[in-house]
Amino acid sequence: MSKVLTIVRKEYLERVRSKSFVIGTLLGPALMSMFIVLPVLLSETGGDEQRTVGVVDLSGEIVGPMRAALVDRGDDNVTLQHVECPDGGDVACVEELKRRIIDGTIHSGIMLPADFMSMSAPRATFYNKSVSSMVLRDEVLQPALDRVLREGRFTRAAVPESLYTYLTTRTDWTSRTVSAEGGDTEQNEAVSFVMAFVLIMIIYIMVIMYGSHTLTAVIEEKSSRMAEVMLASVSSGHLMLGKVLGIGMAGLTQFGIWAMAFFVLSQRGVSVGDFTLDVAFMTPIILISFVMFFLLGFFLYATLYAGVGALCNSVQDSQQFHTPLAMGMVIPMMLLSVILRSPDSTLAVVLSLVPLFSPVLMFMRVCVETPPVWQIGLSWLLMATSIWFAAKAAGKLFRLGILMHGASPTWASMIRMLRS
Amino acid sequence: MTTPGDLPAVGETLLTLRGVSKSYGTKQAARDVCLSIPRGAIYGFLGPNGAGKTTTIRCIMNIILPDSGEILLAGRPLARELRDRIGYLPEERGLYRKMKCVEQLAYLAQLKGVPRKEALVRADAWLERLGLGENRDKKVDTLSKGMQQKIQFAATFICKPHLVILDEVFSGLDPLNIELLRGLIMEEKSRGTTILFSTHMLAEAEKVCDAICLIEGGEVILDGALGDVRKQFTLKSVKVALAGDLDPPPDLPGVIARKKTEGAWQLTLDEGADPQALLAPLAAAGRVELFAANRPSLSEIFLAAVARHRAEVAA
Repeated sequence: MSKVLTIVRKEYLERVRSKSFVIGTLLGPALMSMFIVLPVLLSETGGDEQRTVGVVDLSGEIVGPMRAALVDRGDDNVTLQHVECPDGGDVACVEELKRRIIDGTIHSGIMLPADFMSMSAPRATFYNKSVSSMVLRDEVLQPALDRVLREGRFTRAAVPESLYTYLTTRTDWTSRTVSAEGGDTEQNEAVSFVMAFVLIMIIYIMVIMYGSHTLTAVIEEKSSRMAEVMLASVSSGHLMLGKVLGIGMAGLTQFGIWAMAFFVLSQRGVSVGDFTLDVAFMTPIILISFVMFFLLGFFLYATLYAGVGALCNSVQDSQQFHTPLAMGMVIPMMLLSVILRSPDSTLAVVLSLVPLFSPVLMFMRVCVETPPVWQIGLSWLLMATSIWFAAKAAGKLFRLGILMHGASPTWASMIRMLRS
Repeated sequence: MTTPGDLPAVGETLLTLRGVSKSYGTKQAARDVCLSIPRGAIYGFLGPNGAGKTTTIRCIMNIILPDSGEILLAGRPLARELRDRIGYLPEERGLYRKMKCVEQLAYLAQLKGVPRKEALVRADAWLERLGLGENRDKKVDTLSKGMQQKIQFAATFICKPHLVILDEVFSGLDPLNIELLRGLIMEEKSRGTTILFSTHMLAEAEKVCDAICLIEGGEVILDGALGDVRKQFTLKSVKVALAGDLDPPPDLPGVIARKKTEGAWQLTLDEGADPQALLAPLAAAGRVELFAANRPSLSEIFLAAVARHRAEVAA
C-alpha cells in the first residue's frame, strides 16, 4: 500500500505543481461564470437596442395609447413613429412605410386599418425585413396593441374602470416544493435551474477533464518506456490505482479551491444577472448527491480512460477511443431537456440508471424532484460495480499492453485481450 | 524483506528456475527452462534474438505469468516483497522526462520499498558516485543520452538488490559508456551482488561472465561455469606439431580423426578422451613443438552447442 501512496504522491504533486493547474484554477471560475453571465448580459444588451417602429394609424386613435402601453409594460426600447400619409391613400401609406424600412429610418412597420377598433376580427399588417422580427412582434408589439384594443373597447362599451380592473385581473402564483417528509418550502425556479445547471457543468467538466488526464498519464508510462520498470516494482492494478487516485485528488484540490471562493463570494451576496447565487439551494440530499456523483463519475471515467490508455502507445493511438468515451458524458447533456420535462418517466428512470449517464442525468433528477432513494442508491451501486470491473480490465490491459509495441490498437484487439 | 542472513553462501544457488514454460498462442517462447544461478556470480544468459531470454526474465519479474514451472529465490517462492530485492533493467527502458534526477531515483527506490528519506540519501549518493552531482535538480530530458543511461543504471541498483537482471544493457551504447558500465558491474559484483546478464553479444558476455547458460528456441541447451563449458568443448580437439614436420603416430589413444592444417595437425578426440594421454606417445615419436588444446570462443561454443542440440533433436 505504501507503494500506491508513493505513486499517488508523485502524480498529485506533478499535477498540482504544473502551470496548467494554476492557470486552470484561476480561469475555471471565470470561464464558468461566463457561461452564466454572458447569456444574461447578451439578452439584456439585445433587449436594450433602441428600435423605431413605424405605425400607419388610419384611425388616428391607436398610436398615442400604444406608446403609453409600451412604456407601462417596460418596453421603453421601442419607439413608435407615426407615419403620416401625404395624400391619405392606403397604398401610398404602405409605400412610404416600405421606403422608410429600406432606408433604415425605421426597423419595421405596422399598418392598421381605419376601422381597427370596431372590426369583429381586427387586422394588422406587420412589415419587416427579417424573420427574427417575429420576436419583437409577438413579445412587444402584440401585447401592447391587444391592450390598447381591449381598453379602447371597454371604454367604448362604457365599462367603469373598477369593473375593468376586476375583469382583467390575473392569477398570482406561488410555487412551493413538497419534500418527502411532508414539509414544503418556497420554490425559486430560476435559482434552482441555474444552480442545477452550474453543478452539472462542474461534474461534466471535471469528469471529462480529469478523466482524460488518466489517459495521458497511463500513456506516459509507455511513451517514456517506463512500463516494464514499473511493473517490475508494482502490480499493474496498484499502478493504475495510484495514478487514478493521484489525479483525482488533484481534481478535488482544484474543486475545493473553487468551492471556497464560491462560498466566500456568496457570503458577500454576489449576484449574477438577476440571480443571487444561493447556498440555501444546497440541501443535504443535493450536497451528498453532488459529492457522490462527482466522485463516482470521476472514478468511472478515469478507470475507463486508464484502460484505453493502457492499450495505446501514443496519444494519437487513443483518438479513436476518446470520442466514444466522451459521448458517455455528451449524450446525457443533450438529453437534459427531455429528462427535465418529465423527470420521473420510465425513460428518464432507465436512462439515469445507466452508469455512464448517471453523473449527469440522475443528479439532474435529484436537483429537480428528488427521485426515490432506492433509485439514487441503485445508480451509485451500479456505478461502483462498473468502476470495479473497469479497474480490473484496465489493469489487465496494461499488463498485456506493454508486450505489444508498435501495432496500433483496435476495438477488436482490445476485446481479444480482455477475453484472454 | 529478507536480510542478507537469509541468503545462501557465495557460490550456492541463489535463484532457481524449475521447468518454466510460457507460450503465446502456438509459439512456445520458453520451454521447460531450468536454471540455477549461484550467488555472487555474473551469470550470462545468452542466446540469439528471439531465443526466449526476455520472456524468461519477465516470468522471473512476474510481469507475465509462466504457464507452468516454479521460480525460487534463496529456496523460497518469489513473493512480491522478495521481488523488491531484485533490480531489473529491461531492454525497453526510459525515464520520466519531466522529473528531476534526484526525484526520479528516489521515486524508483521508494517503489522498491525504500523509505523516502533513505531513498533521497541513496539517490544523492548514486548521483555523486556517477559524477552527476551537479545535475541532481535538473530535469531528465536536459541530460545527455549517456547520463540518462547512468541514471537508469543507478535506479536498478538503488534498492541494494540481491539479484540484478540486466537485459541487453550495452546495446546502443558507445565504447566509452560500455567501459564505464562494465566497471560499475564489476564493482557491484565485488560487493556480492548476483547479476543475471542477458545478451546476444557473446563477446561482451565472455569478458564479464563467470557462468553462462545458452538458450535457443526457448530451450536451455547448455549451462554451467564458463570454465566447465569451455572444457566440454575444448576436449574435442587438440592441435599438435612435431619437429621436422613429422606425422603423429597412427595409433594415438582416443583420436577419431586427423587433418593437417597450416603446418600443424588437428586431432579430433572421442567424447571423454583425455588429451593428456596423447603426450607420452607424441613425445616418443619426436620433439613436440606445439601442443594446444583448442580454447574456443563463446560464439564457437554456441554454434557447436546449437549444432549438437539440433542433431540430438533430429535423432
